[in-house]
Amino acid sequence: MKKFLLTLMVLLAATVAFAAGEPEAAAPEETGPVSFQLWTAEGESDNGFQFVQGLADEFMAENPNVTIEVVQKGPEILREDFQTASLAGAAPELLWTVNDHAGPFTAAGLIQPVDGMYPKNQFVESAILEGKTWGIPITSGNHLMLLYNKSLVPEPPATTDELIQIAKGLTGGDSYGFVYNDTEPFWLVPWLGGFGGRVFEADGVTPSLNTPEMVATLQFLYDLEFVHGIVPAEADYGTADTLFKEGRAAMIVNGDWTLGDYRDTLGDDFGNVALPIVSATGTRAAPYTAPKLFMIAEGVGGATLDAISEFITFATSEEKQIAIANDIARLPGRLSAQKAAAIVADPILTASAEAVGYGTPMPAVLEMRANWDAMKPEMAAVLAGTKTPEEAAADMQSAAEAGIRALE
Amino acid sequence: MDSLTADVFARSIGQVGSTVLFVALAVIVLEVALYYLLKKALRWKYALPVMLVAPAFIGLAILVLYPLLYNFRLAFSNMSLRRFTPERGMTTGLAEAWKNVRIVFAEPVLKQQTFFPVFLRTILWTFMQVNVHVTFGMTLALLLNRPMKMRGIYRTLLLIPWAIPQLIAVLAWRGEFNFQYGYINVILRSLGLNPVSWMTNPVANFMAFNIVNFWLGIPFMTVILLGGLQSIDQTYYEAAEIDGASKASQFRRVTVPLMQPVMTPAIVLGIIWTFNLFVVPYMINQNELETSDILVTALFRAAFEYNRYGFAAMFAVIIFLILLGFSIVYMKLTGFDPRASITGNIGTTVGE
Repeated sequence: MKKFLLTLMVLLAATVAFAAGEPEAAAPEETGPVSFQLWTAEGESDNGFQFVQGLADEFMAENPNVTIEVVQKGPEILREDFQTASLAGAAPELLWTVNDHAGPFTAAGLIQPVDGMYPKNQFVESAILEGKTWGIPITSGNHLMLLYNKSLVPEPPATTDELIQIAKGLTGGDSYGFVYNDTEPFWLVPWLGGFGGRVFEADGVTPSLNTPEMVATLQFLYDLEFVHGIVPAEADYGTADTLFKEGRAAMIVNGDWTLGDYRDTLGDDFGNVALPIVSATGTRAAPYTAPKLFMIAEGVGGATLDAISEFITFATSEEKQIAIANDIARLPGRLSAQKAAAIVADPILTASAEAVGYGTPMPAVLEMRANWDAMKPEMAAVLAGTKTPEEAAADMQSAAEAGIRALE
Repeated sequence: MDSLTADVFARSIGQVGSTVLFVALAVIVLEVALYYLLKKALRWKYALPVMLVAPAFIGLAILVLYPLLYNFRLAFSNMSLRRFTPERGMTTGLAEAWKNVRIVFAEPVLKQQTFFPVFLRTILWTFMQVNVHVTFGMTLALLLNRPMKMRGIYRTLLLIPWAIPQLIAVLAWRGEFNFQYGYINVILRSLGLNPVSWMTNPVANFMAFNIVNFWLGIPFMTVILLGGLQSIDQTYYEAAEIDGASKASQFRRVTVPLMQPVMTPAIVLGIIWTFNLFVVPYMINQNELETSDILVTALFRAAFEYNRYGFAAMFAVIIFLILLGFSIVYMKLTGFDPRASITGNIGTTVGE
């Protein structure tokens, strides 16, 4: 037992000696060095994460007293982990994430308003809730467009009637004129806009899904499949994406995040335009746009906030904003960078910038979750032919209302 | 990966290392304290065993017991995203607990459906699964429990579903249920039949995740039951044969009673696991059909998509109580004694 104890004592001493050197790296503000954590929703596959890390590295090289630890998390994981970490009092100081996270984060009081931290009139619209701004725009867009294969569709359709007509001529065998992800209501809302509908009443929180506009939208999607027969019977994201990449679908509706990928796959045959005008109404389909934002955790202040503010200014400077367009093909959040020569020279980014102009900002309120969850199964039911558009619209509304009650 | 410099590497090691060091330090401090308290001061004869068990006990208490107690505490609160902290309106108390219980039973647990339809679906799913697992598992085990060539290979093949990480296996299955490209619909089409909408049709989707779980569950049950069969002494069968018992009555009067110590825990655990199985129903239900939700997937959506923490915690407590009640009743009915099976038959079975 003596020996055992002695061993323990030696180990203890060694551990203390070893651990003593530890906490210096994370020393507090008064001595100068500042460190903060940045969680980003940018993935590695399209070099987004590498871009964020590169920005942090460059900033740290210029400001040796600042240490930024960049952590990558998928959008949903980022939301859940940030909520949990905040509850435990160990939240990261800075987020680089999608604007709809502003809804849950403000509802729980986890982020601080950023009014006055950046020149708002020089950037695209941010997430504004309860009269306050909750994030600083980094990129704009995230919008759906009509993407087409020029070898099959030399001239893209301007209206839905043209789209249907062109697609009919290209559908046959196992090829389709038109595809889109028919499992997600994100692909439904642009057409709803084209038919003149909105998912919320004017107050921005009461669902307005059981409307003639929603019925017309569901009927339109139903007709594409069952009347015109130009889309596959069922196509989730992966199916639509594969069909388009393999040249077996002439046109697809997909987001700006696919531009680089499709350009690599189809080369010069790849083209993109804004979604067409809905022939029945004469209004253009309006995709949701969602900027990516810097959000700052509640309670961050002092020297850390100053360093974060400096980093944000650095990352959203015109030079870096042009770089984000060139390096990872995103539309910058800074308006002057959107008009920069480098972007104007690129026809794909120019078309994307034009398309984003027809979009409407995606609601960031917490209630949107209930709307998405309500629309998803009903949209699927209409496209499976098990519910009429009228039934589905009514069921969407009651499901969304139940979902919103559950949020209380 | 050009950013992986020696500096980054050292920093990463430092981050992990500090946690490891902290744990090591805590263990040493604990052991020294226990040594002086129990051995030197009290001269207790169990000092050494307690010292050896203490770190694991404390680790489990932190990692298992604390979250469990925290869940109970949450169940007595009205916590949600809008009432995230006490400063933002979160209150705790019996009234909140009662309100949560009322919501679980009286209001929709998902979008439209209330507790009982989801509960009945969960029972149907569990009943179908465990029945098929045991019936087919037993049949396969009986077939394999005979002298035959390449028995080792068959048994290895049976374990393949368990050699693949479950999530990956389930995602692969989801691909096979794809309307356009899925293997199953490709076969149906080539046979001249209509393809099935596995992801949008409620009945087909329910069948789809049942099929996946048959594939996962039957081999598992086969392996467990085969172990049990092999521990039955052959002399019982010889004696039965001498007495003129048929194969069927040998099975009924020798195999089934002697398999009881293996089958009861296997069935009880099978029911609890299936009842609480998350990955298969959640991942196969790509379109989030409410008609394919069982209690635990509904619970997950309530907790992590709608952030109804208090409600979801109470929901979890209720599921726990249902399973606890069921297990007690089942063990009473089958006369199963857990102590006997731990020291007796199951020890050899599991170790086999």
